[in-house]
Amino acid sequence: MLFDGRPFGRRIPRMTDQPLAGIRVCDFTWIIAGPTCTRVLGDFGADVIRIEHAQAVDSVRMGRPIVGDAPTYNNSGFFNYINRNKRSVLLNVRHPMGFEVVKKIIAESDIVVENFSSRIMSNWGLDYPQLKEINPKIIYCSISGFGHFGRDMDFTTWGPTAQALGGLTYTSGLPGKPPAGWGYSFMDHTAGYEAAVAIMMALHHRNRTGEGQHIDMSQVEGGIVLNGPAILDYTVNGRKWRREGMPPGNRAWEPKVAPHGAYPCTGEDRWLAIACMNDAEWQAIVLAMDEPAWAADPKWATNAGRIANEDELDARIAEWTSTMTDYAAMEVLQAAGVRAGVCQRASDRYERDPQLRSRDWWHVLDHAEIGPSEYDGVLPKLSESPGSLQRAAPALGQHTHEVLREVVGMTDEEIAEHEAMGVLM
Amino acid sequence: MSGPLSDIRVVEICDELGQYAGKLLADMGADVIKVEPPAGSSARTVGPFVRDVPAPNRSLNFWYHNTNKRSLVLDFESDDADREVLRKLIATADIVIEDRAPGALAALGLGYADLSANHPGLIVCSITPFGQDGPWAQYKSSDLVGLALGGPMMMNGYDPEDAPGAPPIRGHGDQGYNTVCHYAAHGILAALLFRDRTGRGQYVDCSMHEALSCTVEVGMPYYLYAREDVVRQTARHASARRTERWLVHAADGRDLILFGIGRDNSSWRKLKQWFQSFGFGMNFDEERFDSPASRQPGRGSAEASEVYAEVARFVASQPGESVYRGGQERDQAWGTVRSPEETLDDPHFWDRGHFVKVTGEDVTEPAAMPGPPYWFSATPWELRRPAPKLGEHTVELRASLV
Repeated sequence: MLFDGRPFGRRIPRMTDQPLAGIRVCDFTWIIAGPTCTRVLGDFGADVIRIEHAQAVDSVRMGRPIVGDAPTYNNSGFFNYINRNKRSVLLNVRHPMGFEVVKKIIAESDIVVENFSSRIMSNWGLDYPQLKEINPKIIYCSISGFGHFGRDMDFTTWGPTAQALGGLTYTSGLPGKPPAGWGYSFMDHTAGYEAAVAIMMALHHRNRTGEGQHIDMSQVEGGIVLNGPAILDYTVNGRKWRREGMPPGNRAWEPKVAPHGAYPCTGEDRWLAIACMNDAEWQAIVLAMDEPAWAADPKWATNAGRIANEDELDARIAEWTSTMTDYAAMEVLQAAGVRAGVCQRASDRYERDPQLRSRDWWHVLDHAEIGPSEYDGVLPKLSESPGSLQRAAPALGQHTHEVLREVVGMTDEEIAEHEAMGVLM
Repeated sequence: MSGPLSDIRVVEICDELGQYAGKLLADMGADVIKVEPPAGSSARTVGPFVRDVPAPNRSLNFWYHNTNKRSLVLDFESDDADREVLRKLIATADIVIEDRAPGALAALGLGYADLSANHPGLIVCSITPFGQDGPWAQYKSSDLVGLALGGPMMMNGYDPEDAPGAPPIRGHGDQGYNTVCHYAAHGILAALLFRDRTGRGQYVDCSMHEALSCTVEVGMPYYLYAREDVVRQTARHASARRTERWLVHAADGRDLILFGIGRDNSSWRKLKQWFQSFGFGMNFDEERFDSPASRQPGRGSAEASEVYAEVARFVASQPGESVYRGGQERDQAWGTVRSPEETLDDPHFWDRGHFVKVTGEDVTEPAAMPGPPYWFSATPWELRRPAPKLGEHTVELRASLV
């Protein structure tokens, strides 16, 4: 892009220029929500140190897609995707010597993050008061299903159950059908995003005051906050989302406008999303469709008329889109100023989407075991201190010795001793 | 004011797309001043409205997304004097967040280069559908269109036999906007931490399309690493191959998500006893069910298919709440499918003080809405004021700027 007359985007920044340079994260996270949080921090230059244990390996290290024939812990595309820009240390925290080592890493860290169930850290002797004893300025973020207090604090979630309990699964679906839900763990992403927001806010507070703190996140609460207007419609107007005709599929809830949906195009399972927010946009759609005779009926001219005849309207528009490819229809509508976009698959975004490619969205990094491995970019783009892709996801324990030397200050003899005692596994 | 951002002033020039980013900062103590045109932000026209009467101060959508902000009306697009007031205001600010089309503010002399010339510490974040440059930069979008292009929609939907010919489905709640706003907050806060260290501000370019494209979990790595697209399925993960159903229906009609059944043998033993006490899974003691891997879905295991089918029969004989709580008490991360308002019925979140109450035009009885997404021990989330009425703070803010 052009920014003050010079391009940025291709520039590879030095790590010290990055916004979180100098910030170290002691990362106990696993699966998706926690690693998503630390992906954000690592993308902006924090030194993220994954503490891993070979007896309880992050199951995502075996998650599909796998490069090659069988999982090796290091060849999961899914693991790599959410763990770039991090280092990995093998350490048995339950071994007394391992516990001493992790305390030293915590003492040299700014942030501790974990997404275990809610009693694990205190069972380890690493709850917030204890962390604070090790490092008075530590920022500790716990991410669990229900948080570390409240009557059901021992209940647990994965992304799919958190989004069900938080009200999100229900809102995705056709009326009269079971919920379609979210075909992926939207709430693992989102809980991780929220945790990263919280941690960076706490860092700013610490910069001002020197004070650390405990941030406690419930993944379900992180979902409840995403549907505030629906909840207020109930507490103010007494109207429930669970009622006849709901959820409304791809039709609009608020503002209630039409047409609003996904329409079939030529090819197998190809769809175009169109959102018409007002009467002027409707006129633009009519022009884009080349003013078909049916569209001249005055009943279509107003939003109220279009909503009153929404089934017929959707059928008419589908008739038009069915004659075209999705990208061609998108171009025709966008040229007329209409909000329209192809329902893109991953292959579409990678192979065909000109927007992502023009913004240098795809990257290749050299992975210790699988060699060249592909990643998407860092967002948002910061003009002076951009985030970047510095390293591929770590192989299990790839940085154990390096971290023990650099961060803990151990000698080679001490490392060998710990190795011999079975601490570094 | 006790939030972690209580020393920060933000000028927000946002409508539906970017307003949640302002809320995230405002709720944590920042002084967020929402600059609105005389007719008000278009977000004020988005329902639902108090008692279904549309008016600028009655949008519940606006109420929710604009907590803790102040409202300043300025006709900065057509009135030179008002534009000058806006410049003065921004001179007092740390952060500007805007969600206009690329170039729109620059055309008014309010681009980053203009605003930062005498204010090198300023952070300006633009939130747009596609980013500031590229062939789609000026394309029009919405939450639906964003979720289509970014990939989430193609992963949500139905098995063909559940809804023949059904399109991909968009989840509601403007989650595309929420997602880009989380990323905008990341960028703004990263820039703020850089400024804490160096004193230098910068420009932050945040694209909804990019935010959503990397918020589809296995969808993207499946293509990057296996060159395969995943395919949507009813209420469970889209997958390269069809997988067992997780969605089950209880006797009282409630839907539940059973994500995993007895992932480890100790919880499997507890589960078996529970099922068998009701006469289900009487063959689960057979050795072939002993391996945790054989019981997990999505791996083509015959035992997993059998387990899921039998447990679905068990669930169909029980009330939903008993299955949810009974499963959780036996270490199963199962969940009931709740509508948004049904989350209010769960006492756990009241224990945590999650829900907060607001009043506003025609609403004198405090009404509950969601509160903090996170608990800070030292600098807590706080509802200091409800969303502002249109121009509620114009007089006080204008006076402070002369």
